[in-house]
Amino acid sequence: MKLRALLIVISCLLLLLAAVLAGPRLNDAQGQFIIWQLRVPRVLVGMLVGATLALVGAVFQALFQNPLATSDTVGTTAGATAGALFALALDSSRTIQGLPLVTVCAFAGALTGSLLVASFASSRAAHSSDVLLAGIAVTLATSALASGIQYVSDSRALFAATQWSLGQLPQVGYRGVLLLAPLCALSCTLLLLLTRPLQTFALGEDLAHSQGVNVPRLRLFALGLGSLGVATCVAWCGPIAFVGLIVPHLVRRMLGSSYRVLLPMSLCVGAALLVTCDAFARLIVPGRELPVGIVTAALGAPTLVFLVARGRR
Amino acid sequence: MTELEFVDLSVKLGERTLLDRVSLRVAPGDFVALIGPNGAGKTTLLKTALGLRAPSSGSVRLAGSAIAEFDAKSRAALIAWLPQHIRAEEPVSGLESVAAARYRFRESHAQARRAAERALCRVGANAYANRRVTELSGGERQRVAFACLIAQEAEILLFDEPANHLDPAQQLGIYRLLGELWREGRSILCINHDVNLLHQVGDAARVRVVGLRAGRFLFDAPFDAAMLPAQLGDLFGVEMDALRGSEQRFIVPRSRSTP
Repeated sequence: MKLRALLIVISCLLLLLAAVLAGPRLNDAQGQFIIWQLRVPRVLVGMLVGATLALVGAVFQALFQNPLATSDTVGTTAGATAGALFALALDSSRTIQGLPLVTVCAFAGALTGSLLVASFASSRAAHSSDVLLAGIAVTLATSALASGIQYVSDSRALFAATQWSLGQLPQVGYRGVLLLAPLCALSCTLLLLLTRPLQTFALGEDLAHSQGVNVPRLRLFALGLGSLGVATCVAWCGPIAFVGLIVPHLVRRMLGSSYRVLLPMSLCVGAALLVTCDAFARLIVPGRELPVGIVTAALGAPTLVFLVARGRR
Repeated sequence: MTELEFVDLSVKLGERTLLDRVSLRVAPGDFVALIGPNGAGKTTLLKTALGLRAPSSGSVRLAGSAIAEFDAKSRAALIAWLPQHIRAEEPVSGLESVAAARYRFRESHAQARRAAERALCRVGANAYANRRVTELSGGERQRVAFACLIAQEAEILLFDEPANHLDPAQQLGIYRLLGELWREGRSILCINHDVNLLHQVGDAARVRVVGLRAGRFLFDAPFDAAMLPAQLGDLFGVEMDALRGSEQRFIVPRSRSTP
């Protein structure tokens, strides 16, 4: 098991390296610029986003004891989308403190959506399934809001909204990395500290409660921290589908479900997977970039079906 | 040592009354068998003792304080629970599940695993240590959960039909284990459907049988009381016979003679 985990970590590192180097042959001066100023920061953003989405997915699946739970299910992504559409309908070129208005509004929308669900989750009487339902309700409500905004937007805003909702790693340079890193690192580090109480959830949350876990508090922490990380990612990249759902299942297949392994390895595999998908998106159509969200969705959907089919056997 | 006491406890769910002014005291070292028809409120009683359900009126007191006043870890040090149904969605190993049950202890993961191995051994479930709980049968999973309860090392143990899902040999084994835990000084409150299994705990004369029906307290009798067969018959609405074994009395429902 340890050997297998080590092999996976090494493969992840190799994939990350390959993603930096993959691409058309470059001459010296221009090549240096492209690699160091464009590709490396983009790979770093991809690592941060992939790692955060995958870890949060794993934590939410544990928390809700539901293999389909992700940040999409608890209102975070839908809130971000509504926020982003609102900003695009106003004016996509405006900035606040040097940050794009879209990013700021998406972040605010994501936090609002998740806080609504989290406030419900902290109630003592609420069961995990109730919280999940609240998440779905918030998602539906914010989607309705987003549709309303789209209805009154002009065609330019609509095109920008479609682009945004596909999800892509932005070319934001090292400044973007510096803005993403602290919030993602904070969210991931604190989530990893919840490994032990989350493990008690494996046999049901009532049993976890009887074993000394403060269930409402744990739920509030995990939801709050997870939403913070995901809100940061979605604000910059738009909703990137399937990473949070697929990666934990992949890791589970390979290494089992002990959260001491599952959580850190999801972090690792998530980073490598998103960066690899992004390299694909960059290279698959020569001279043109696809949004990475399309690639993750195209790979993710069949992978999910495959994993489910394998799991049934 | 800690006393668990239900004082005039009522629990309502909407219009329905699940428990109606039930008072019951589980003193240190007591073995109380809780018995009653389905829907009598037995499981609800255990859940209020764990703080999983709030009383509508009355209270559950642990060492003299209301259960809601305890923080989660100090409550877990006093009271542990074996639920009737064990959920298993996540394919973790048996050993990891039992190690996780040591949450209340400040210790390294290695220490938790060693304690988990001992607990699994004690319930005869070492074979499940490296198997995934999702792949275990109901009875096997029950044993892993039993090991969780032992690993938690609490003073008061609550059991919800621990012999559920088990074959007869395993049922006897589980009740013998209950007896061992009892003799080690723990208090036990156990929902039970077959009083005859109580012979297995040893010193059965000290076991109390408490009858509960439709949320109401009916009786609290020693296991060897002469009245018990009649009380059980009344509780379930059937006639009960007491049969004499070589040393033990067995209480069985009288089969209706066909005309």
